[in-house]
Amino acid sequence: MNIGVFVCHCGSNIAGTVDTEAVAKAALNFREVVFATDTMYACSEPGQAGIVDAIKTYDLDGVVVASCTPRMHEATFRRTLERAGLNKYMFEMANIREHVSWVGKDKEANTRKAEELVHMAVEKLRRNDYLEAGEFDINKRVMVIGGGVAGIQAALDCADGGLEVVLVEREPSIGGKMSKLDKTFPTVDCSSCILGPKMVDVAQHPNITLYTLSEVDSVKGFVGNFDVTVRRKAAYVDWDACTGCGECATKCPSKKTPDRFNEFIGTTTAINIPFPQAIPKKASINPEACIMLTKGKCGACAKACPTEAIRFDQQDELVTEQVGAIIAATGYDLFDFTKYGEYGGGRYPDVITSMQYERLLSASGPTEGHIKRPSDGTEPKDIVFIQCVGSRDKSIGRPYCSGFCCMYTAKQTILTKDHMPDSQSYVFYMDIRSPGKNYDEFTRRAMEEYGARYIRGRVSAIQPKNGRYLVKGADTLLGQQVEIEADLIVLAVGAEAAKGAGELAEKLRISYDPYGFFLEGHPKLKPVETNTAGIYLAGSCQGPKDIPSSVAQGDAAAAKVLALFSKDKLASDPQVSGVKLVRCIGCGKCESVCPFGAIEMIDFRGMPKASVVETVCQGCGVCTAACPQGAIQLRHFTDNQILAEVNTLCL
Amino acid sequence: MASSIDDLKTEIKKALPGLDMVIAWAAGPDPLSHTPLFITEEADVERIEWDPRCSQNLAGYLPGLRGKKVGIVVKGCDARSLVELLQEKLIDREDVTIFGLHCTGAVDARAARKALGSLRGGLESVSVNGGTASFSMSGEPRTLPLAEVLQKKCFTCTGADAEVCDHFIGEHGEPPRVTETPATTLEELEAMSMEERLHFWEDQMSRCIRCYACRSACPLCVCQDHCAAQSREPHWVDQTDHPREKLMFQAIHALHTAGRCTECGECERACPMGLPIMTLKQALNRSIQDLFDYRAGTDPDQAPPLFEFREEEKNIKEREW
Repeated sequence: MNIGVFVCHCGSNIAGTVDTEAVAKAALNFREVVFATDTMYACSEPGQAGIVDAIKTYDLDGVVVASCTPRMHEATFRRTLERAGLNKYMFEMANIREHVSWVGKDKEANTRKAEELVHMAVEKLRRNDYLEAGEFDINKRVMVIGGGVAGIQAALDCADGGLEVVLVEREPSIGGKMSKLDKTFPTVDCSSCILGPKMVDVAQHPNITLYTLSEVDSVKGFVGNFDVTVRRKAAYVDWDACTGCGECATKCPSKKTPDRFNEFIGTTTAINIPFPQAIPKKASINPEACIMLTKGKCGACAKACPTEAIRFDQQDELVTEQVGAIIAATGYDLFDFTKYGEYGGGRYPDVITSMQYERLLSASGPTEGHIKRPSDGTEPKDIVFIQCVGSRDKSIGRPYCSGFCCMYTAKQTILTKDHMPDSQSYVFYMDIRSPGKNYDEFTRRAMEEYGARYIRGRVSAIQPKNGRYLVKGADTLLGQQVEIEADLIVLAVGAEAAKGAGELAEKLRISYDPYGFFLEGHPKLKPVETNTAGIYLAGSCQGPKDIPSSVAQGDAAAAKVLALFSKDKLASDPQVSGVKLVRCIGCGKCESVCPFGAIEMIDFRGMPKASVVETVCQGCGVCTAACPQGAIQLRHFTDNQILAEVNTLCL
Repeated sequence: MASSIDDLKTEIKKALPGLDMVIAWAAGPDPLSHTPLFITEEADVERIEWDPRCSQNLAGYLPGLRGKKVGIVVKGCDARSLVELLQEKLIDREDVTIFGLHCTGAVDARAARKALGSLRGGLESVSVNGGTASFSMSGEPRTLPLAEVLQKKCFTCTGADAEVCDHFIGEHGEPPRVTETPATTLEELEAMSMEERLHFWEDQMSRCIRCYACRSACPLCVCQDHCAAQSREPHWVDQTDHPREKLMFQAIHALHTAGRCTECGECERACPMGLPIMTLKQALNRSIQDLFDYRAGTDPDQAPPLFEFREEEKNIKEREW
């Protein structure tokens, strides 16, 4: 075998702390290395041309590039080999950037480590085999998980592109957080007026199947061929029969049911349609509040229903959908405002969250758009807004900025002045973050035209005082303490990962960060892909986003799916497990440990043997660890290849 | 014991017509250890022996006899191997008829020979009563303390009765009680530093002759002719006569039996050099018990923890939900 080694400078990224020339020189002493050089940027056009030239000049049949992580450029260099006429799996990458130059400052030690990594890569490459990718069919249907604005946008784009779409939403209606908002920044247009038509489009689109009140139960398969089981939770109402007339809710005697849609400001009935614009506009029963379901007596709704749609015996139903791609758009949840004791959230009735305030402002909310204090129903005059409640605070494990709170607070001060011209808004802020188009102009308007008083500083305590509240804080620009008497306090709660995000990520086998937000494939270059092929991200499930960004990412995810489905067949990865039949004793241990169900037991001349379903295998290697006699080997990562690397390093 | 053996013979005679064979023990060339007896005819039944010399774990024969109707006589520890084989679907429950016994402890032939001296006169019977073992030699009884002549595994016996069986013969009872149990190798090793432990094993392994008797005796070694120890593909171990390579093989065997080994002690019993190799398996078993709350060979309906994939293990909290 003729092996060529290319040691990349990556500008000064690697060459700054690794003597790349020395590494290349050392590589010439490794077995079967006939050519070695250092190069400025191996991945660049001239860098790749250099590799192609060397392959031809020195008749190379294997290449090692010592540069960055394979995640970054393995595919790039494999294509380079293909262009030069080599099998693209006759390539190994030694990661001397993330594993060496970026983590160590000692140039001598770094150089030594880089040489060892290159040596290991050479020894592995000597044992590489030619591999050929197979092809498999794809199912051109897509599932969108989450029916907020990002999911709606992605579903509509895919459906308009001619794909069959299954949209799964946990709540009884699609619409997500946006459907709860009164107005949107920076235009102050009505949220439901711009979202409503899109929701109707979803309901009416012939290519979209909508499952609300449903959650993903399990996900099997792989890109192009996922089997997703969806749990359709019991609504206790036959939705085919329900016309959404609302008669049931008017007759329901359980009128003190907590109102989830209205953020628990006010109450609703046990059977209800969450809001007037709900899609689908169908009634569902809250089983915890329903007298019939908890005590076995009542049935008032069943008597009132003109179409006899009530089904107290309805059970959850599991539906399996075959799709080729999945877009996760599960959104976010709001920070628990009771975690800051000093603000009195949860203790003082007139300390509310910004989303609760949004419901008070909304004409379809519990107060029909009149701002009333939850404690006594009076109209407040002085309102204090506190920013960064659950954002940018390491002490509560939320070091990140939620991004949209500065803007919605500015919007809320404007709406407050619109609703009550005599009112005065005060905003305690840390910094104002308004980098979007027309955003900074908008916050200026809140201050300059609508007279909101912005105080740069934090609030230390809120105390009740004569039916009002004394807000004590600091004005760090004036360098003095301030006290404001307020009727209502609105906490600008930050965003956190949606409840159950981690579990869903595990089911989808995608990565998530310590806060539960899903990880994109690359923070800059793959913002909507995940590290699992065929699964894409849209909206705030990836990190806090405002409406324009969520919509843009919904569009982007749809574009990715449409691009994926533009081919009729996909190439399968040949780096999967394979069974050596003569060695296999059919003990079935590989089958029972496989996390993907990729191994089936077959009958071979009367004897049980393991067999790998190559398109299902993800190449994780668990089976190879479980197989006692080494009969099952992961191609491109065989025991012998790994042993060769270990021996190179240790012997 | 006399009544047990008669009952055992009666039960086997009853069951034999419906079976291809029954595996039990018979007197062999060595007066201190009985050998396996494969019974296919009723006349063979009379050759059955049952006393503390019946050391060998017969369960190891079962995977090789798969497809046949086999009866098997088991002690408490043998039954645990059998349960493990059932769990791993290496044998089929409906094909196996189990004759279970209460074991009073098994004699360590090597230790007993040392303690008894010459056995030229023959050994008529061996029995265990309370804290002593009685050997009847040429009509003369010799009594020795259990701690001197029992196999080491019997000191840590977790159940002397065959828990899973079709026919239980004799009375149920407790494992042998030894007043002064010698410290186990595992306990000795745990008192050592890491370096001392390595020296201990290098020292032990320098005596290993690589006969692989430990592997051949292990009832759970399933690889048959494809043992990783003698393969080049994958090439885990080479043939260098070096303690490192020998220890590597022992490490592989211990890892292959991790969470499966029922500590039947066959590896140590078979070792001609008397190496304490079961210790490696015991150490792993302890970890398995801590991590998964699991002991091999106790419940036929449980799956061995290392042969399952779960996103979240009960005792390993990787995630916060």
